[in-house]
Amino acid sequence: MEDYKFLFKVVLVGNAGVGKTCLVRRFTQGLFPPGQGATIGVDFMIKTVEVENEKVKLQIWDTAGQERFRSITQSYYRSAHALILVYDISCQPTFDCLPDWLREIEEYASNKVLRILVGNKIDREDREIPTHVGEDFAQRHSMYFLETSAKEAENVERLFMEIAAELMEQARSKELPRYETNATSINGKTTSIGDSSNCSCSRLT
Amino acid sequence: MSLVKCCFEADAPGVFEPVIQKCIDPGCCCWCCSALRPRYKRLVDNIFPVNPQDGLVKNNMEKLTFYSLSSPEKLDRIGEYLFQRASRDIYRRRNGFVIIAMEAMDQLLVACHAQTLNLFVESFLKMVQKLLESSEPQLQILATQSFVRFANIEEDTPSYHTRYDFFVSKFSAMCHSNHNDLAIRKQIRLAGIQGLQGVVRKTLSDDLVENIWEPVHMDKIVPSLLYNMQNSRYFEKENATPESPAEERSDPPQFAESCMRELVGRASFGHIRCVIRPVLRHLDLHQLWVPNYFAIHTFRIIMFSIQSQYSYTVVEALMTHLDENSKSTPKIRTSIADTLSKIISIAAGESVGPSVLEIINSLLSHLRVSVTRNLPSSNDEQLYQEALINALGEFANHLPDYQKIEIMMFIMSKVPYSEPDSTASVGKGDVLLQSILLKSLLKVGTKYQTIHLNTTFPISFLEPLLRMSLAPDPEMRLLVQKILHTLIDRHRNIDKLATPTVNIGNLELVIEKSSRPDVIFVRKHGPEIYQALYESLELPSNTVENIEAVYTTLALLAVELATEETVLELLRLVLSLQDLALTSGQISNSLKFNLHAVVMSLLVLISYVCNITSLMDYASKLVEAREKEAVHLLPELKSRYDGESQLSTRLPPSVIIDQAVVSECLKGAGLDTGKLQQGPGYSSSSLQHRHSWVDSTGRSSMADINAGGAELDSAGSSPGVQKKLPGEELTFESMKRILTESGETRREAEEERRLQLSQLFRTAPFQDLVVKTQPKHDMLQNKLSEIFNTLTVEPRNPIQPGIPPADAKPSQTPAYEVHFPELFVY
Ligand SMILES: Nc1nc2c(ncn2[C@@H]2O[C@H](COP(=O)(O)OP(=O)(O)OP(=O)(O)O)[C@@H](O)[C@H]2O)c(=O)[nH]1
Ligand SMILES: [Mg+2]
Repeated sequence: MEDYKFLFKVVLVGNAGVGKTCLVRRFTQGLFPPGQGATIGVDFMIKTVEVENEKVKLQIWDTAGQERFRSITQSYYRSAHALILVYDISCQPTFDCLPDWLREIEEYASNKVLRILVGNKIDREDREIPTHVGEDFAQRHSMYFLETSAKEAENVERLFMEIAAELMEQARSKELPRYETNATSINGKTTSIGDSSNCSCSRLT
Repeated sequence: MSLVKCCFEADAPGVFEPVIQKCIDPGCCCWCCSALRPRYKRLVDNIFPVNPQDGLVKNNMEKLTFYSLSSPEKLDRIGEYLFQRASRDIYRRRNGFVIIAMEAMDQLLVACHAQTLNLFVESFLKMVQKLLESSEPQLQILATQSFVRFANIEEDTPSYHTRYDFFVSKFSAMCHSNHNDLAIRKQIRLAGIQGLQGVVRKTLSDDLVENIWEPVHMDKIVPSLLYNMQNSRYFEKENATPESPAEERSDPPQFAESCMRELVGRASFGHIRCVIRPVLRHLDLHQLWVPNYFAIHTFRIIMFSIQSQYSYTVVEALMTHLDENSKSTPKIRTSIADTLSKIISIAAGESVGPSVLEIINSLLSHLRVSVTRNLPSSNDEQLYQEALINALGEFANHLPDYQKIEIMMFIMSKVPYSEPDSTASVGKGDVLLQSILLKSLLKVGTKYQTIHLNTTFPISFLEPLLRMSLAPDPEMRLLVQKILHTLIDRHRNIDKLATPTVNIGNLELVIEKSSRPDVIFVRKHGPEIYQALYESLELPSNTVENIEAVYTTLALLAVELATEETVLELLRLVLSLQDLALTSGQISNSLKFNLHAVVMSLLVLISYVCNITSLMDYASKLVEAREKEAVHLLPELKSRYDGESQLSTRLPPSVIIDQAVVSECLKGAGLDTGKLQQGPGYSSSSLQHRHSWVDSTGRSSMADINAGGAELDSAGSSPGVQKKLPGEELTFESMKRILTESGETRREAEEERRLQLSQLFRTAPFQDLVVKTQPKHDMLQNKLSEIFNTLTVEPRNPIQPGIPPADAKPSQTPAYEVHFPELFVY
């Protein structure tokens, strides 16, 4: 009676304060937490969604952006199916750090991982990174791209739903063993989804 | 819809299932269908009370357990069904029922030690995961406890559940819990630590399961434990030694620490690095090197927990880390080196063979890099160098003595020096390196306890050391003397003999009769050593400190090696030094006065040590005379005297040591004074006719008889000095004794003197002796830092122009060695 068919692990990374935790909580709990404190190490949340009438379970690992937790957060990259790299559109330094993050991802994550670039906080007036700049960056590095606001719940649902759909698509196209109730392993034999062959940047639209 | 499908898949063999499931709403119609349900499902359903607060229905649980034991093939179905029920309850937030389901699974797990457990384990772990995934702290903690219970069960058959990835991740995340409620936060963290401990135990006890040492796991487990340990009380205190604490399961830091110990203790050789690497990374990222209390604490824990034969690996890892940090600030490097020095001694006991020299070599090359990196060295860089030297000393301290000698020779071999005949002077960097290596040598030497001088000073060590004692830089010469001090002194007389004095009686020197090997050593190498010391005293760049240091060396030699056989050579040097002070055209007046004071102090000391009464009397007479007429020729040494040039012209003969009188006194004491008169004594060029063993032993008894004639010669060699007769009685008596007494009585007298000397040592209170002969670690440490404080690394006078290369004739000794190879048997 396991109520899902697919299990995917999604890991969020990005500078401290860009709104990773807010995005996750908006998605899993439907709220924008006031006074959200900095994440310590990693946090873990779960949500089951339905894509094309199939239940998909998303295990969402929300990592701390602070440098000092880097050693523990890095170790979460490897098992990720999707990596969401978040920056704050109203804060240039968080955008400038993206190459560093990509280097980390390059080093620690599986090369098949689905990578999504997210510019968060679009509700803010003081935008510093124009949309097309983020878009260009994503394109150059073969990533999906989306702008969001955790505060206004803009594009948050869509972000995770698209990821779920894309991962499911990949899993299906590869005819990989599904996560089934009587599988011998609990941790998703679904893990090795996607040598995502279409790495060319396609926007999540 | 999917609910139905899943059930269908899972329960396909059950004929009635589809029908029942379709109508199911577990809340309403369970009872009416129950007759149709398979027996195991009914048994499971019955353990749940109507009201969750009532808890597990105990006797029904017994029935279920009995059923499972008698039909173990059903166990997997039971597990699966329990899991499904719990999943549903979690979804509906009926936590009471979830807890009951988990409890039932726990009980079944413990009860059913059959082979079929395997099948059940899958459901069990799925259940645990399900609970861990919920956002309820209560369920997460409950699940952890179940997991730990599971981990502690030793399965008789290998589990084919081989993936613990999720658990490691989740428990690690729990270790970082930041729950707003502090009590809950603590509980979750404790559960996380406990879970990690469980995973480690489980995976290590079963070969077939996942390799927990993989970086993917260790990189989560180790930082999670450290993160909790970090908040421990040790963090603030430097010297808290990690005694093995009783497993304190209610305090996250302490619990994390004991987990860490367990983890490290279980690591085999190949896995140590898997643990150390994330430790280093964690310390880097959390900036825990400066200050380094936590780093030291952590590494001590590691060293004390690790299987001791592997401890060297930890040292190696820290060294490598130092390499990797070559671009970091000196502060960080100092802290790493300091951490190294704090744990290196623990490794020393286990290090053997090449690994020892490897460590030393690595430390030395770090020093070299540090020296060449920035000239002049910044203050921080110097601290770093000292930390390295400390590590070196700490390491050496815990090695057996024979290895210390090896290390000293090894360090010596790394000291750069310019060839004496090459005109090229050593570069500034080399000078700094020299000084740093000598400091290292001093550090190691301080830890070394000399027993026999011949083992302490193999020729290949002694020779370069003596050469360095003539280095152009006074600082360097000072260091060499300090090395000599610590290596020569065996009775903790260094401090007492730190500065020249003519009041020996107050010093309470510890004197012991020197051993046969020592006597042979000093006969063999004494002249060489004395020559080097003489030449070193000749150098115009000397400071008072330099002179005092050479005095200390000579005084220690006198105390350690005082025997009638060796005293003459020493006195010969003393007299030569007086000649130098009287005649040298190169050194300043103040230095000359210093020399006179040293000469006087040595004379007093030697006469005291050898217990030659007549010589003691003569010496005190001279001291008296100097007190009246030439105070500047007595200690303490000054770098500047009032009216120097005036003082130097007036040297009344009564204040100068008369060689003839000295000879007379020695003869009176039954000593063979031939040597005293032999040759011109020490001089800057006397190397050519240096006295050898053959010289001193090959002299004939005729020399004794002709002694009177030689006296005249020597008197003539000191211009303006009038021969002064010593106390007539003494001379007369002694002369008579020599002429009349048989050899046997003389031997008896010698024996008596020997007894007197050893009495001195024996009668001292035992406690005193222990204190004096057993160097205390802390004291050494303090003394050393004191030395370091007084020395600046920057050389003040790198090169002295106009001085002939002081380190002349380095090839002399090997030639000597070739001529008398049999001497090196000792
Ligand atoms: N205006 C606006 N503020 C946001 C948005 N998302 C997050 N914030 C604010 O940004 C701050 C940081 O948000 P977090 O979610 O804690 O950031 P984080 O990336 O999880 O930070 P770390 O856990 O330290 O890595 C909070 O004060 C949020 O209120 C958004 O969409 N719009
Ligand atoms: Mg956060």
